[in-house]
Amino acid sequence: MAADPSPAPTSLSFPRSTFAKLTPGPFLHAHLKQNPPIRPSGRTLTQFREQQITTGSLTHSHGSAVVRLGDTTVVCSVQGEILKAADIPSPPDESADNEDLLETLGLLVPNIELSTGCSPAHLPGNPPSTLAQSLSWKVRTLLYGSEIVNPEDLQIMFTAPKIDEEDDAPVPEVKAYWTLYLDIMFISLDGNPFDAAWLAVMAALRTTRLPRASWDADREAVVCSPALEHYAHLTLHTTPVTATFAVFSTANPLKQRSEAESWVLTDPDTSEEEVCREALTVTVDGKRVLGIDKAGGRVIGMEAVEECVKLTFARWKEVSTILP
Amino acid sequence: MQADRRRLNAPAGGTAPPVFASANTSPPRRRRKADEHRKIFLQTGIVPSAAGSAYYELPPDPATPPLTRKSSLKITCTVHGPRPLPRNAAFSPNLLLTTHVKYAPFATKTRRGYVRDSSERDLGLHLETALRGVVIGERWPKSAADVVITVLEGEDDGPAGAHSGDMGSGWGMLSVLAGCITVASAAIVDAGIDCVDLVSGGVAALVHDQSSEITTVLDPAPAEHVTRAACLVAYLQSRDEITEMWMKGDAGGDLGGLIESAVQSATLARTVLVEAVKDSTEARVAAMSPPELPSTDAASKGRPKDVVTTG
Repeated sequence: MAADPSPAPTSLSFPRSTFAKLTPGPFLHAHLKQNPPIRPSGRTLTQFREQQITTGSLTHSHGSAVVRLGDTTVVCSVQGEILKAADIPSPPDESADNEDLLETLGLLVPNIELSTGCSPAHLPGNPPSTLAQSLSWKVRTLLYGSEIVNPEDLQIMFTAPKIDEEDDAPVPEVKAYWTLYLDIMFISLDGNPFDAAWLAVMAALRTTRLPRASWDADREAVVCSPALEHYAHLTLHTTPVTATFAVFSTANPLKQRSEAESWVLTDPDTSEEEVCREALTVTVDGKRVLGIDKAGGRVIGMEAVEECVKLTFARWKEVSTILP
Repeated sequence: MQADRRRLNAPAGGTAPPVFASANTSPPRRRRKADEHRKIFLQTGIVPSAAGSAYYELPPDPATPPLTRKSSLKITCTVHGPRPLPRNAAFSPNLLLTTHVKYAPFATKTRRGYVRDSSERDLGLHLETALRGVVIGERWPKSAADVVITVLEGEDDGPAGAHSGDMGSGWGMLSVLAGCITVASAAIVDAGIDCVDLVSGGVAALVHDQSSEITTVLDPAPAEHVTRAACLVAYLQSRDEITEMWMKGDAGGDLGGLIESAVQSATLARTVLVEAVKDSTEARVAAMSPPELPSTDAASKGRPKDVVTTG
């Protein structure tokens, strides 16, 4: 009976949000020190945020998706426009194989826009930040590198009619190409922009339907069929899925390395990203690893990378069931 | 045109939007009454990292067949601030309000660029005048606030097929601006910036109907009408004030009647605005009311545990 059961208010006590703002590093550390470690958002170390995918909500796009990953919201639109083969300044060789045709011509044009007021760190009125440029480039690299889009889907062929009986059978030739513009607008940004953007790109591409286009020899132009039943889906070769991990470490130049503790956080949000100095992005597709991108730090070793790859494979299974 | 080196650009040959063989579809017709507003969806608090935010949508009529689908307005707005002015800025006794309106590249039938063009800057200026009369700037000296609007989907410019270069800068601009005013008002309230009243935008138009007589309609969808004149107002109902008016076209003799109809349209939009603001305030009060008890609520609700932070 000696001790007072009610917790006496301490002399200096702040609500959680104040601690999180004042000392983000120690705040995160205090959470991770618990056993088992729980992140400030209530997630476990390996837990991804809830995702939600909505498709086909934009009128003027051939394919579109809205992806929510926790508090990060992204809109991706796919719009097809026509590039006439005659307009290409330096046409590719006839003999060249189709493989890098898309990249040579630049038929996929992804752009990420962060200056939409999605977070106070990215106010509009400035040219795209380094982050936005590097994200656009990463999406572009992954789109071309993993050969998702079938080049034949983007070619508009034309076979000249036979005029003379003696002529050889006419050879179909490519008169024009579809160019796909992928515009990725962040509505709200709370960490992990690349995973959200990529998920939106995949969802939008999988729902993209292009109208049937044919070459009109008299008008020297491409004409599309407005009938809804002539719209066709793209045939996508693969469905890569990315997962990002951040590493929080108490390593400090003033301390012994052996004293440092570290935690690998799956799918970090902004508050976690800000205090983590090491990140790892893994891209997988089914059974293949398409890429591992590790930025900074010296905490993650071979085992941790393998662990992350395993988690990404599990993530791929989960995501491929919800993708449209 | 010089390529934008900070973005990924279109192929060097230049691309053109697909041209369709003509389809014999009938243009969309107005199914609403002349004094009926389209349904508005308005929600605040969609961007947690911003001080205030709101989303505005005029959902498409589910009865229209998919081929004649027209634009359905979708606008997001975030408010950042009020925040202190940087040290080197000149002293300002009032809140410095900046507005920024940008269409997404996929917002209109013709693709738009990533850099703001003059029509978007003009919309931003109109929006600023509409809001300036509402915000009590004297309460926030030496501070600034940004209102950022992204139009994810704009309004058509006129009857389908009439325009080839549909950039959303014709009649559709008025509906877009009305939406911008209403959504910005909700976001400003969500950000907790003091206002004298809620401002809402409304549009009315003089249109030629089927028998080519001229009628006045509220909240015109330009795709459904042949428009002769249109008028937008930003209206403060409880003070009966207009902070912004914009009229286009030949309204003839009945200017007052057209403005009166636009005010009526703004009044209709205000009912939705009031609901949205009320919902967000109630949610905020509910979140505040159970004071944070460090030990009890965490265990019972499975919320993240509070931890003792030292140092």
